[in-house]
Order: sequence, then structure tokens, then C-alpha cells
Amino acid sequence: MGHHLTIHATRQCDVLIIGAGGAGLRCAVHLLEKRPDLKILAVTKVAHPQKSHTSTAQGGLAAVDPRDKTDKPIYHMFDTWKGGDCTSDQDVVKRIVEGGWEEIQWLERRGMHLSRNDEGNISKRQFGGHTIEFGKGDSFRAVFEADRTGKGIMDTAWGEALKRGTVFLNFSVATEILFQEGACAGAVLFNFKDGEFTKVLAKTTVLATGGSGQVYRITTNCRGNTGDGLAVILRAGLPIMDAEAVQFHPTGIVGPGILASEALRSEGGILRNKDLEPFMERYAPKMKDLAPRDIVARSIETEIREGRGIMNPDHQIEHVWIDLRHLSAYVHEVKLKEVASFFKTYTNLDSRTQLCPVRPSNHYHMGGIPTNADGAVQRSAEEIIPGLFAIGECACASFHGFNRLGTNSLLELLVMGKAAGECVLSYLKDGRIADPAGAGEQTLSRFSGYLAARGTENTGKIRLEMRDMMTKKVGVFRNERDMREAVAALEEYRRRSAGAAIATQGLRTNQELLERWELDNLLDVAMVIAQGAIMRQESRGAHFREDFPERSDAFQFHNIESMTEFGKVLFARRPVDMSLQTAGDAHSDHFKVIPRKY
Amino acid sequence: MRTNVKEKTMSQTYKLTLTIRRYDPDGDKSWDQTYELEAGAILRFVDLFRRINVEQDATLTWVSSCEHGQCGSCSVQVNGRPMLACELLVENAVALFGTTRFRIEPVTVAPVVRDLVVDWEQAYERVHRAKPYVIRPIEPPPGVTELQISPKEIARYEDATRCINCFCCATACISTHRNFIGPNAAMASVVRLMDSREEEKDERLALLYSEEGVYRCHTSKACTHVCPKKIDVAHFIALAKEGAF
Ligand SMILES: Cc1cc2nc3c(=O)[nH]c(=O)nc-3n(C[C@H](O)[C@H](O)[C@H](O)COP(=O)(O)OP(=O)(O)OC[C@H]3O[C@@H](n4cnc5c(N)ncnc54)[C@H](O)[C@@H]3O)c2cc1C
Ligand code: SF4
Ligand code: SF4
Ligand code: FES
Repeated sequence: MGHHLTIHATRQCDVLIIGAGGAGLRCAVHLLEKRPDLKILAVTKVAHPQKSHTSTAQGGLAAVDPRDKTDKPIYHMFDTWKGGDCTSDQDVVKRIVEGGWEEIQWLERRGMHLSRNDEGNISKRQFGGHTIEFGKGDSFRAVFEADRTGKGIMDTAWGEALKRGTVFLNFSVATEILFQEGACAGAVLFNFKDGEFTKVLAKTTVLATGGSGQVYRITTNCRGNTGDGLAVILRAGLPIMDAEAVQFHPTGIVGPGILASEALRSEGGILRNKDLEPFMERYAPKMKDLAPRDIVARSIETEIREGRGIMNPDHQIEHVWIDLRHLSAYVHEVKLKEVASFFKTYTNLDSRTQLCPVRPSNHYHMGGIPTNADGAVQRSAEEIIPGLFAIGECACASFHGFNRLGTNSLLELLVMGKAAGECVLSYLKDGRIADPAGAGEQTLSRFSGYLAARGTENTGKIRLEMRDMMTKKVGVFRNERDMREAVAALEEYRRRSAGAAIATQGLRTNQELLERWELDNLLDVAMVIAQGAIMRQESRGAHFREDFPERSDAFQFHNIESMTEFGKVLFARRPVDMSLQTAGDAHSDHFKVIPRKY
Repeated sequence: MRTNVKEKTMSQTYKLTLTIRRYDPDGDKSWDQTYELEAGAILRFVDLFRRINVEQDATLTWVSSCEHGQCGSCSVQVNGRPMLACELLVENAVALFGTTRFRIEPVTVAPVVRDLVVDWEQAYERVHRAKPYVIRPIEPPPGVTELQISPKEIARYEDATRCINCFCCATACISTHRNFIGPNAAMASVVRLMDSREEEKDERLALLYSEEGVYRCHTSKACTHVCPKKIDVAHFIALAKEGAF
């Protein structure tokens, strides 16, 4: 059956927001609070913005309370800098940390149901890597809503976005960014529910498509996190940055990798190996189970490699235990109600009396679309693209450097969502909307190609094989030989994918077609991750090379990575912003390139 | 103490028969299709659908997102009971229904667009009508930046804030199919009636006591019974009926 695909409709708006998770929604609401007259179109891949992945964030949201006598923003900046293994941009770190508490007030006034202490004030909890006085003691700076902080943020943000008249387009994906004379002019969308391609012409476009965790088999990320935003950017000839910086959460529930929050450890959970030894004491004598994620993840993988793991028969995955048996009934039933119940739900184990199986799980992409401190997308270290912004997990400003601290992502979504919104306002003055020639051709030819393909390959099977391969070869531990094999395997998957025929030929809710497109996105993003990781011959934060176990000053830069032809990754550099260090004040010494020891 | 170490080293598999209600919008055609598969005890129903896509039939269409019970995207009816497919383990399903044969159908709160996928936007329209936000926030006294709310006060309505709008309750509620706005939509408004930060109570009461309001509810408690988040939905509807906010 031949398919002649066409653009079904053209729409216009002031601001097109691609992705309505925490970042996209915060941006939309800021814009509408400032300019209620704006026409904002927000796109999601899910059934409704509430289904976006931010809703699953559990643990908390970091922000320094100005009334807290022990904590200070400068300590939070230091923790972020140190945690990111000295690769965060210091101008961005300062901006995001200083904007934190205002966001808590913003949420609280709009109805977020933050957990409270007995006096009725906002409660705070401790989280791995967050300290006071430059590492001297633990800080309590994570505010939370029980163990559903992300849901609390989302319900507040989508409610406000709805109240203020955001137009939502769900079950839709952006497949192509449009440009006119070097400036962004909008995007092409595929509404897969109705099977229609739409051209959206916008004065400003904001990418907020979230993570790319589906590149890996064991992941905490949702089914739709296929790195679409990054792939679409690469296909526009633009770069992504530090793609190799991928975080693995130490405690994914065996087998799918569902997140067992850090809160389990901050409330006192202890990791044990098959001999029930509390092994973190050996790897991080001071912080033990509360050491930063990458250190805990490698410690667990080392235990397993050295034969001290346990095999789960159903999933054929080795793991270690998290021991929660000693925690009070109150902690189990109130503080960790939702998370502890995951073990019951997904493994049929009772965490009050039984040990629970965990294994590191892909969790967060520090790398992403390079932006400046306003969220404006960069073509290179020197040049931005007028009218195009990127915020949230798909972006790389870079706040998290090479390793994100728990609770810092939600903070980033909010502060950067607002900051980008503020900057977007300045683009809206001139009313002109461009209509670039040839818009949509790339998308239509790609999708007709998918529908016309013939062969016996199965998209879902290739996807599963690819994810398994990436977990094994470009995961917690990396080395050159494995990663060269990964690159060759990706070439092979790509070749095979051309022979994946699509049985469903109608365009309406064609899951096969959508997943075929997602596979291309996954392959592109995986390829850049693998090659970036090969190029970076050092270990830095979450990027750990067995063949180069130390951090090297020769790699003290951001990797700017582009790929216009599959497999051919080109590299450029962006310096790490050091403005806190060069400020020359009393704290500057803490912001040098320092060793990352806990 | 270490019992589960031994207990969990034995794996068991089940031979399952899934009969899935299908709908093809292109030919406007509906039919039942049966798939046989063997699966391990702690696989979830979403894992089964994925396996069907890879091993037997790539055209079977279903929805999920978070795949751990947090987003409410994957609701389906299993043997007539609305449930989250991502939370249902094979061994639990076998125990719950006492069979290895399962009939899977879409939820009934909106028209089907293909197979197990419904038009969620139509379902959500009810929730939007209930205004799931603070319509008119109270002004805090001068100098106060964050309000104080006692944990006791929050505890009264906290459970209702856990709702993920999976619409399992609305699927089970007979009144929802006869003009009632639906348990989850009504509850979204009840939360803000109980929240001291909301000033706009009248508009909310007007909706709850309207033609599509809580008096349509017959207190059958089917909603509470099926809620995957174990929210006592009927309790909040009952509070609304009594005006006991
Ligand atoms: C299980 C879990 C727990 C976490 N807990 C915490 C925590 O406690 N604290 C913390 O700080 N961080 C946490 N994180 C990280 C944090 O939640 C995420 O980084 C963050 O929510 C990402 O938000 P976002 O707005 O960038 O993207 P998302 O919330 O993922 O939203 C992305 C949006 O883009 C849409 N989209 C995707 N692709 C396309 C496309 N092609 N076209 C159009 N739309 C598209 C999606 O449908 C969605 O609406 C957690 C992450 C996970 C997975
Ligand atoms: S108790 Fe009321 S709302 Fe709940 S299912 Fe019965 S009729 Fe519906
Ligand atoms: S009340 Fe329960 S069943 Fe109803 S929509 Fe909310 S979570 Fe789902
Ligand atoms: S997929 Fe999110 S609840 Fe099932």
C-alpha cells in the first residue's frame, strides 16, 4: 500500500511548548502570569499533561530556606559543583540555587500540598550529597510532598496552566524543528491519536521533552522517554552536549528498574550483599549509604561483579538487598508508604520483614541540548539560535555537570522554566510569524519511508536488544573495547531496522509507526552517548571508564557533539563557566577544580 | 530473617490465555482476539502486552507511560474489573481471579480510538470542569510568605490528593454513565473545598450540588473498591453530600 502523506493543517501561536512536564508547564504558567493574552500551545506525547514523567518524582525538591539559620545558598552551590565533578557551569549553578526558595513559595501559594511539620511549616529532609559548611555536616534542604513530590508539582503546574488558558495537544510528538533565516519558526507535529501532521508556526519555541532513559534496558524512566528532543535537534544539524553523562540510580527495583527512592536510604535503609554485609562502609566510610549516587551505583555493581550479588530467578538479573526491616512502622507506613509498597506490588515482598532486591538503574541524563543560563539553545559555544529554548532534562545548561544530586532536577525545572519564560517574553515583541519553505518535507518522507518498509524485522525486538546491549556495554562501568562493540552493534540495529515492516497502515493511533520513529531516536541518541563516552578518556562523575579511572584535566570541558550522518559524530568544546571561582571572594577557593571525595 | 532468600530462588511460570477486545478505526471493526503465552510469576500485564507485540502481533495497541502505578495511563478492564495493567502481576492476577484465562477490554469512560486505547481527553474533560486548581487563593497576612497548615488539617484530605486520574473508579461507577460528573472529578473539587487556601467555595458547591453533582451517587462504593491507589473515594463523596468539609 502506497502512502502519500500530507500536512493536514497549519496553526499559529505565540509560544509553542514541546513537552508539558514540570519544566514546560512552569514556563507556560510564568508566561501567562505575565501576559495573560498570549496564545500558548503545549504538546505532550502522553494522554494528558498529568501523565508526564515529572509526576513520578518521589523524593524531594532542593531549596535553601532563607530563614534556615544553618543553611546557605553558597553551600548548596558548592554541593552541586562538587557533586557534578566540577563540570557544572557556575553561572547556572548560582542562578538556579538562588532562585530556589521563591519557587517553593510559588508552589505553596498555588496549592501544592507540601508536607508540614507539627507547627504547620514546610518540612525538609536530608538527601545524599547535600551538606552545610562545604561538606562539614548534613543539610536539611529538600522540601517534599510525602513521597510524591513530582506529582505535587505537576498537579499544581498543570492546574495553573489549565486555569490560565494553555491549549494542550496530547498524544502528539514534535518531529521537526522549523527555521527561517537561522531563527526558529516553530515545529512540525504528528498527532498520532488522529493520525495528522500539523505545522505550527510560533514566535518562540521551547523544547521540554524530558529524559532519554529508554536507551537502557534497566531504567526508572517512562516508556515515552526515547530521547525525541535530542534526536530532533541532531537532525536539524544542531549539537547536543555531554551526552555521555548518564546517571544510574543505585536502587532500581529488580527487574524493570523502578526507582526505589533515595529516601529509603535517607530514612535509614541499609544496602547489604549476599553475606548481608553493610558494604557501603567499605566504599564511603563517612557518608556510607548516603554517598552520591554514582559512588553507590558502582559499589553495588562491584559487589555483584565480585560474586557477592544474588540472582533473581524470574528476571535473571543479579542484585543486592536493601534492608528496611529495622525501620519503624511509622517510617514504613507514613514516610515511605508509596515506595515501600512498590516492593510489595512489583516483587510481592514485604519490606517490613523481608529484604528487597535492588540493582542500579538508568535514571537521568545530565547531557542534553546545550543552552545558556537563560535556556536559549546554542549552535556553538558562542552562538545562540534566536527563538529556540530548551529546559528541563532534555537541556544541558549545565547545572548538574557530570552527576546530578538528588532533588536538584525538580529545582532546575522550576527555576529554568521561569527563567526561559522571562527571556521568551523579549522575543514576542515583534509580531512576525515566519512560514519557512519546505516545512515538513523531512518528516513526511521519513514517515512514508517507515510505512513503505518491507521485511521481517520487528521494531520492538530491535528496541529490546539495543537497550540490553547499552546496559551491558555503555552502562555503570565503561571501557573502550566494549564501547567499540556497542558502536558496531548500533550500526547493525540501524541496518536491521530498515527491514521492519509496519502491519498497521492506517495513521490513527498507529503504535507501530510511533515506535518505529522512537527506535530511530533511540539509536541516534545511543550512538552519540557511546561515541562521546569513547572520546572522553577519563572518569568524571557518572561517566566511569575502567581503562581511565581518574578524572583528567585534559578533559575539563563540555563536549559539543553533532551527528548529521548516523555514526559520524563530530566533537567541539565549550569551556566550563568558572564565575564563582573567579569572583575572588571569601568562598572562591571552594569552586576550584577540586577532588570529589566523600 | 533470611527466608525470602530461599523463597525467591524458585521460579514458577504460568500458561496464560488472554482474550483482548480489539477495535480497528480504519475498517471500523471490533473483534475478540485470543493470545496464548507462558510467563513468569512477577511479570506485569504491560510486560505481557509488550511480549505479544514482539513475539506474536505487532498491531496490538495499548497505552502506558510510567509503568509503575503513578500516572494512570494504562487502565484496562481485566475480567470486568478496571485495573492498572502496569501493577498487575501474573501471579496476583491468577490468585485474584482464580484462573489463568483473562479477558481484557478498554475502560468505558471515553470512546475507544484503537484496541485498548481510549480518547483520554474526553474523559479528562470532566476533571477540567471540576477545576482541579485553586480558583481564588487567599491573601496571606502582610509579611507572611508561606502559610502555616497543620498536618492534622492536611490529613483530612491528603488521601484525595493521591488520585492519578486513572478513571478506574469512574469506569466502575454506574452513576458516572448516567450524568454524574464522576467520582474522581467530584473528588478533585472536594479537595479544594477542604483546602484552607481556597476562597472560592460557592462555585465549587454549586457544581457538587448541581444536576451532575454528588446526589447522583448511590453510595455503592464500587469506586473505593477498585481504586488502585486505595483511596476511599466514596468517603469523600459522602463528605460532600453531608457538606462536612
Ligand atoms: C522515578 C523518578 C523519580 C525521580 N525523583 C526525583 C526527585 O525526587 N527529585 C528530583 O529533583 N528529580 C527526580 N527525578 C528526575 C526528574 O523527575 C526529571 O528529571 C524531571 O521530572 C524531568 O522533567 P521534564 O519537565 O524535563 O520532563 P518530563 O516530565 O519527562 O516531561 C516531558 C514532556 O515532554 C513530552 N514529550 C516527550 N517527547 C516529546 C515529543 N517528541 N514531542 C512532544 N512532546 C514530547 C512528554 O509527553 C512530557 O509531557 C526523578 C526521575 C524519575 C524517573
Ligand atoms: S459510591 Fe457513588 S461515586 Fe462511588 S461508585 Fe458508587 S455511585 Fe459511583
Ligand atoms: S480515585 Fe482512584 S480510581 Fe479514581 S481516578 Fe483517582 S486513582 Fe483512579
Ligand atoms: S503506566 Fe503509569 S499507572 Fe500504569
